[in-house]
Amino acid sequence: MITNENINSFIEKIPPAPQALKVTLMLLNNGELVKAAQIAQTDLALKSYLKNIVNKPIYGFKNEVSEISQIFGILGVSSSQQTVYNYMISLLSPDKWTLFKLNSTLFSDLQAQLSRKWKIILNHLNIEDKDIESSIALLPASIIVTEALFHDKKADVALIQQSNDINFNEIMIRLCGLDIFDICQKIAQKWEMPKKTIQIIKASSGEKPIDDKQLNQLGKWMHLLLFYELSQPQFIQAELNNFINFNIEYVEDIYDDFAQLMDIQ
Amino acid sequence: MRALVKDGVGVFSPQGFLDGNNGAVFLSIEDIEATTKLNVDMILVSLKRVVFFNRNGLDIFVKMFTKIRADKHIKVGFCDYDMKKFNAINNFYKNDISFSLFATQEIASLFSSHFKHKDLKILLFNEDKSQRSALAIELHDNGHNPVIAQTKEEFLNKKNTPKAYDIIIENSLLGQLGENVASRVSGNAIIYTVSSFLDAEIGNKFNIAYHNNSLNVGFRLFIFDAYKVVSMNIHALNFFSRLSSAAAEYNATICFVGLTFDKIPLSFKENMEDSGIMFFNQMEDILENKDLLEELGASSSAGVNKRVLNKGIVTELPQFIQATVATIEMMTNSKAVKDAAKIDKIVIDDTTDKIASSIGFYGSIDGMVILVFPKDIAKKACQLLIGEQTDDMDLILDTLAELVNIVGGKIKTLLSDQNINVNITLPRTYQNIESLMEVAQERKGVQVDLSFDNDKFLFFLTR
Repeated sequence: MITNENINSFIEKIPPAPQALKVTLMLLNNGELVKAAQIAQTDLALKSYLKNIVNKPIYGFKNEVSEISQIFGILGVSSSQQTVYNYMISLLSPDKWTLFKLNSTLFSDLQAQLSRKWKIILNHLNIEDKDIESSIALLPASIIVTEALFHDKKADVALIQQSNDINFNEIMIRLCGLDIFDICQKIAQKWEMPKKTIQIIKASSGEKPIDDKQLNQLGKWMHLLLFYELSQPQFIQAELNNFINFNIEYVEDIYDDFAQLMDIQ
Repeated sequence: MRALVKDGVGVFSPQGFLDGNNGAVFLSIEDIEATTKLNVDMILVSLKRVVFFNRNGLDIFVKMFTKIRADKHIKVGFCDYDMKKFNAINNFYKNDISFSLFATQEIASLFSSHFKHKDLKILLFNEDKSQRSALAIELHDNGHNPVIAQTKEEFLNKKNTPKAYDIIIENSLLGQLGENVASRVSGNAIIYTVSSFLDAEIGNKFNIAYHNNSLNVGFRLFIFDAYKVVSMNIHALNFFSRLSSAAAEYNATICFVGLTFDKIPLSFKENMEDSGIMFFNQMEDILENKDLLEELGASSSAGVNKRVLNKGIVTELPQFIQATVATIEMMTNSKAVKDAAKIDKIVIDDTTDKIASSIGFYGSIDGMVILVFPKDIAKKACQLLIGEQTDDMDLILDTLAELVNIVGGKIKTLLSDQNINVNITLPRTYQNIESLMEVAQERKGVQVDLSFDNDKFLFFLTR
């Protein structure tokens, strides 16, 4: 069904991060917002993506924000960096989704919702760290990876799932010894994303706790946040709710805090 | 959302947060109805991976449960919860719980007629005395040995006795009953369980399509387990008489076991006997008497299938092969090679260390697919489903049944693409070739020898 050759071929096909993006990220990392905006301006697709994201209702701006320098200024260094990473991940998404009932708008909605709520969580935890804030951008890559590897296996997986409680992630582990988050990790390495990002994503799978206690704790928050979002009607309809297992025991110690923060009643 | 179906229990598993906004998106009445067509006698929603739920969210499921129970007469409810969730559900519904609650799926399976591990020693406790009795009666009916703890203290004492019980049940309850006529397969006989007062409702509760399909795929002995029947009226009598007359066309036999005539007119018995129905006092009188089984049609010699392959089924042979090959390839990540094909009786040269499984299909065309595996190949093919290497033969046979079920599902899909609609029966497994041959040796069919990475494997299509 899925072989290591399929996985290697998928990873090989991932293009290196475009030069303009690499420079933009480097400048943002140095806190040089104006210069970063000038470079970002040259990538028209990035410019369009940033405008589209920032003008979504959840950002709550009354007037349309159109200039990149304005966007970076409003977002600040950390959120600008995170948004550029979101754009990079969106470059991997397919033109047409077949496994999941998604489209580019719904996918960018998911990215935006995750980013906004991740920011709320980090504020709550008093964490100010660009790399940690950006880590949420890599999470939806897990959905893209699943789509890419299983898009033509939907019927086969459905038949297996009718008699066996097994999800895409477990099928990959059993057949190839790798899980979806291992592949996200390889994408992050290829794109030279920060090491912390990779660690948090690994912990967010709910399957592989990591040694670093703080990053592991953040992985738990991310795991819970992912399933909070995947419980929204539009994402259940997109059939995203069970692409990986939700590990309740893993998030037990932070659940009450999360429920209070998200005002869950 | 699709359900996982195992041991006759269909389980839906939403994940995350459940409230009034998303309950109907997680699960629709169409999802449940599609699952009931898979011959389940229980539909459950697992709360294992639900971290939050409120009354509004559960209410959406409960409304669907109510409708399905009324239409299909099957058990409905929730499973896989901890004490906190159990208390929350009780708090929401207080004394108005119309659905069943099973702490785990394993416990739920004990109440399914499809669950094949019988004779388990089960400790059970429920604060409510009538629930304790209802649970115990159902468990006993399903062939287990329930031990009821009358008090919490007694329960805790018994619970702590090491290895005294196979399963311990607490925090579980049965909702409003009204089940369908349950069915199970024992050897080559189909056993239906009926209870209480039988009237015109039996026509609604009895799955006539399942029965007819069982006749079509070659079952010739049908036993009604009627120990718990109190009485019946003329409508039920007519129903059984008609059923027996229809079965006679297939040379099949219908028996009643445990039916007493204290409250049923003796003339009913005479009428039923006239229509060919036989009566026995104990189930063992039939199932443990090989000669009688043979006489009644539940063995290969008496139940010889005289039907031959027809053009319709042979034309679709490529679909059957494709479904089988694609499934095994998918499960093993290996390529299949067709070695030989012939039309004749099944021939298995070397019968040592081989196991087999079969699945019937019926509808526009009907027949049966038999797959014969060397044990090692079966283990390999099942590894994806089991998740680890194992030598546990029961587990391998169970998983092989799942695998053949997947083959059956794929056959159904491929035939549907050709506008041929079929349904599939429950899969059956054979732990050795002798038991397979009791069923298959007289059947003619298409035998295809295949190999996967040089491992031999046999496919047989028959009617």
